[in-house]
Amino acid sequence: MKIELQINNSAGPEARFVSWAPSPCRIRVTNPTGALMRIVSIKLTCVSSSTGGVVVFRQGATGSFSESLTLAVPINGTSVPFFVAGRFGRPSINNEDVRIEARAKLTPFGLPNTLVGSLKLMVRIRKNAESLTPGERDRLVAAFAQLNNQGAGRFADFRNMHTNTSSPQAHGAPAFLPWHRAYLLDLERELQAIDPSVALPYWRFDQAAPNLFTLDFFGVSAPNGAVQFSNTNPLQFWVTDGTPGITRVPLNNWVPTTQPGPGVITEAQTLALGNQYSVFRGMEGNPHGTAHTRWDGFIRQIGTAARDPLFFLLHCNVDRLWAKWQRQNARFDPAVAASYDSNASNPVGHNLDDTMWPWNGVTTPPRPPTAPGGAMAASPCVSAPGPQPQVKSSLDYQGSINAVSREGFDYDDVRFA
Amino acid sequence: MPDVVETEALSEEQFAELVDALGAQASGPAFVDGQQQLTLLLSEAHPHYNQRGAATVVRMRGWVLLSLARVGVTDDTLLYLLEELDTGVDPYLVAAAAKALRSYPKPNAALAPFVMRAINQIRYHNDPVSFESYGADALSSDATSPVRELLLTLAWLGPQARALLPELEALSGLPKKLQPEVERARQAIVDSEALDTGDCCSLPASLRSKFSWALGSRRDSQSIETTVFEDHDGATVTFKEFFQGQPSIVVFFYTRCDNPLKCSLTITKLARIQKLLDERGLADRIRTAAITYDPAFDLPHRIRGYGQNRAVRMDASHRMFRATEGLEALREHFKLGVNFIESLVNRHRLEVFILDDEGRIAASFERLHWDEQEVVDRAIEVLVERKVPDAVTSSEVAAGSTSQRRSISRTSSPVWSTLASLAVAFFPKCPICWAAYLSVLGIAGLNQIPYSPWLQPLLGVVMLINIVSVWLRGWSTGRMVGPYLVTAGLLAIIITRLSPSLNSLAVIGILMTLAGSLMSTLNADNQRRRASMKLEDSMPRVN
Amino acid sequence: MTTKKKATKAAKKRSSLATLSIATSQKKPAPARVAALAAAPLAATESDQNLQKVLGVLQNQDEPVEVRLAAMDSLAAAAFSVVAFESSRPDYIAALRKVSTDPNPEIRQRALSTLAGEKDGFAQKKLLEGLKNPDKALVPPEKALQLLSYDVHAEAYEVARKIVKDPPNEAAKQEGLRLLAGDAKSASMFEKLLRDKDELREVRQLSASALQALKPDKLQEHAREMLLDKSEFEDIQATSLTALKQFGDDENVSKDKALLASVDRLSTKAASSRYKKSARQFLTKFKG
Repeated sequence: MKIELQINNSAGPEARFVSWAPSPCRIRVTNPTGALMRIVSIKLTCVSSSTGGVVVFRQGATGSFSESLTLAVPINGTSVPFFVAGRFGRPSINNEDVRIEARAKLTPFGLPNTLVGSLKLMVRIRKNAESLTPGERDRLVAAFAQLNNQGAGRFADFRNMHTNTSSPQAHGAPAFLPWHRAYLLDLERELQAIDPSVALPYWRFDQAAPNLFTLDFFGVSAPNGAVQFSNTNPLQFWVTDGTPGITRVPLNNWVPTTQPGPGVITEAQTLALGNQYSVFRGMEGNPHGTAHTRWDGFIRQIGTAARDPLFFLLHCNVDRLWAKWQRQNARFDPAVAASYDSNASNPVGHNLDDTMWPWNGVTTPPRPPTAPGGAMAASPCVSAPGPQPQVKSSLDYQGSINAVSREGFDYDDVRFA
Repeated sequence: MPDVVETEALSEEQFAELVDALGAQASGPAFVDGQQQLTLLLSEAHPHYNQRGAATVVRMRGWVLLSLARVGVTDDTLLYLLEELDTGVDPYLVAAAAKALRSYPKPNAALAPFVMRAINQIRYHNDPVSFESYGADALSSDATSPVRELLLTLAWLGPQARALLPELEALSGLPKKLQPEVERARQAIVDSEALDTGDCCSLPASLRSKFSWALGSRRDSQSIETTVFEDHDGATVTFKEFFQGQPSIVVFFYTRCDNPLKCSLTITKLARIQKLLDERGLADRIRTAAITYDPAFDLPHRIRGYGQNRAVRMDASHRMFRATEGLEALREHFKLGVNFIESLVNRHRLEVFILDDEGRIAASFERLHWDEQEVVDRAIEVLVERKVPDAVTSSEVAAGSTSQRRSISRTSSPVWSTLASLAVAFFPKCPICWAAYLSVLGIAGLNQIPYSPWLQPLLGVVMLINIVSVWLRGWSTGRMVGPYLVTAGLLAIIITRLSPSLNSLAVIGILMTLAGSLMSTLNADNQRRRASMKLEDSMPRVN
Repeated sequence: MTTKKKATKAAKKRSSLATLSIATSQKKPAPARVAALAAAPLAATESDQNLQKVLGVLQNQDEPVEVRLAAMDSLAAAAFSVVAFESSRPDYIAALRKVSTDPNPEIRQRALSTLAGEKDGFAQKKLLEGLKNPDKALVPPEKALQLLSYDVHAEAYEVARKIVKDPPNEAAKQEGLRLLAGDAKSASMFEKLLRDKDELREVRQLSASALQALKPDKLQEHAREMLLDKSEFEDIQATSLTALKQFGDDENVSKDKALLASVDRLSTKAASSRYKKSARQFLTKFKG
């Protein structure tokens, strides 16, 4: 007997990526040969190395997860749904380092030990950049460099989305966090189109980062501010605005490999800002703005910040802080006033139901004159947020309120439920 | 006027002095000359700006604008001011243009949208600027700023800006220091009397950012036919190979342009133009091309990426180019509004060209934001102009020359065929008759011209060609009366040649030939006209 | 606005005032003031009064330098909140221009850096003046070149070429080269530097990067030659490997037996394990 497993309700290998939030899956019998019953009992288990990812299962849309799941599957080919999620705390480090095995009980009195199918997948999670393995690190920088493609690649669109001209779309008003969440997701999906094993890591700017600021990763700042890379690091060919290289130097005698960003409020302090979004979004000043301005160089200002790939790791942490705050305060539902800062005076692009530039393609005032990058990148794993995301679509990124809203990413230290 | 110094050698101080002198001249009796000289200095391609950095060009242009603000702005200068408000991102230039606008003789409602657009574009970059002296540094926000100048200009517009009152009242977030200017502008709009509805509401007729050249008046493209381009895939092609054979829409750009209202938007709009052409089934009949100002840096992979990132279609008929040689000739031919420091652009204007199927410039859109639909419409006009020579091409085509060409083409065909028939009918049968004819025709002195019997069969061939073409025309139009008459006329002429006694039949033959040829030609004209009306009905209305 | 929001706003305002009073009080110790300025950057945007207080600290030469720098950083952080910062920007830019000629070099450099990032014409003018006339220099030449490179239109190519030809120091030379990496005319210079074994590793690596931007085909050619050259330094060979792996023509590379043989040699004989690993990854990609 043979079965087919579908992850994210897709048979394709490109969809075999899960996070902490449950992914809808299916199993069906494709070849019933050997089965003596009309309905067979199939046990799903996870097989993983000691360092690889681990997945857990549940049958319904609610309830607890378990390490295995036994399903009654008809042999006539009817699909049986179930859910898979990464086990919190056990993300993958390589693609396909987790295997789901399906073992069936083919005879009425037999043991469920006949392997009838298996599938490899990945628990793909956004991690602390400090904790990446050399393999994860190398894949990330290679994907970034390829996206940049010496200045001629798609990265130019992401650079052009974050300029002085477009800045009112995303800064100084309530949609600061939702917009940047969508921005990171778009970039991450483009990186995954190059290497699907890549997830955007975050830079904990309130901690020392001895692994991140190295020649093999995001570079070491020379005293004058030029960022240096090893001869094997593809970021040595980074080009933006027609100019190779990155300018970034820590200020005020700060040593980022041994010290947290000076003056940047800690994670605990950030989460304690308040349980209303209208107050919490003040984190745009500190830690966000403060993290930007601990440096001199590209990352210090809006108009040049996106020229430095570190910018995306900085914002990944900003987004993680928001995600953690949301989990802490149950702020995923746009219908709950405290989840967002709705005001009659919010500028266009900052109201919950507004679509966000540039993905909406709107280039008439008050939106900027061009919309680089086109629609939001699609994902083979999820349908959200769609090609033209609204502000509110960024809130329920895990699908906590509505499973369809799941955007397919999670942070290593932010649970699902 | 100061002594003319080699323009490229002028220091910034000398340039400022020159501008001041022209300004003084324009304030005096030689107002027109001074004004014109100052306006000329606003052209990007002016030699003064050659080999200057972008920031230097900003200072220089700004000083010219400020000088014009002092002496008064005319219709000729207005376009440059509107251009700055429409697409400018430099605070100094936008502020200077706003100030200069206030010295235009009369406020005009058509100017108001430019002012408001500029406010929205510059408000988050509202850096202080100083007009005190050339290159003065604004070290205090008490100096002026572009938004302040624009608000003052709104106040100057007064009632002419009434349509923008809601937008003005909705403006929030501006510095508190500017609130008095906001209020002043609002009061000026609200408190004023009713609009003078004379010629207040449209831009001056002489202000032209769109140009057309009639079919007969276009400059040929010989000087650039051999210009070699390399496209986004590295394939090479000459100007002649790509731009002749079909009309085309051409834009100029460069990948290092940092004004999002110019090149990035231009190429984005080019993609929209391609989409419009595709929707009308014209993507294979009208080509598009984007040519970089910066061929040394904009290598194929770079321009391909730039185009791809803006959803530009790239294939055999739609390409992104760099000129591997002959950029100067291109610049001269297109009269490009651009200047350089080394190979890098220091400033350029918006410019789109429509070329006809011989690669000649048929139309251009310059300086101000252009509408994609309008560009496509104009390109379609150029496309159909040869198919329907009688169709009106644009309001700027010289009507006289077109109708002349029309009447000539209509009558020439039957006349030639009739003359040929006439000649065959009366061709002399012998040398003596030949001499007699020549003397009758008053060229007796030329009786040494030998009898040329070979002329007769030649004329016969001409007549045969005529009859064949008449029959072909008849079959295509379905109208056969013309061919029948011409055939009968031909037979009559042949009979007279064979039977001299029936010479009178020759006259009838000639008349029938003439009538038949005329009818045939008129039928064909009518059919072409009907066909072109059908074609035009299926396309957007042509201005 | 709901009552709750009003109360929250009022509390926020009180908190900002408290923070600012610490930040602007000359009686408080400098570290406390620095911390206060870092803690609430958006306080400056809440009122013109707040803004002027912070600007006052920045522009006051009697204030401790670290407090003035903290004020500048705080405003830079607030500037990210563009919509909220709109009304503060003109005063902020004016203040930066003023302090760009401050007696303190760190203040000058940071102010000019921020202005250069905004492509401010005033800053570009000052930086160029300083490069042409060292007596007027506000920042070291390497910094001036670096800041001018933020804007390709900053007419710095000529002065950069001069400095590269006759550099006051190595850092200035490298910044000059970095700036010239956008100059198509400099491609042949980068080719020479790339192949010059007497040049510093950083210069050769920079040249590779510049050449990849200006003439990618040339860089690919040179990369191959350098890998075949047994006398070449391993570090530049590693850069060559990276260039070929990232941007090379995969088909041509996979058929290039001589090249693959050289890389094979590198994978076993390279002194650095990092280079060996890179070579092995290269071989895995192109040989399988």
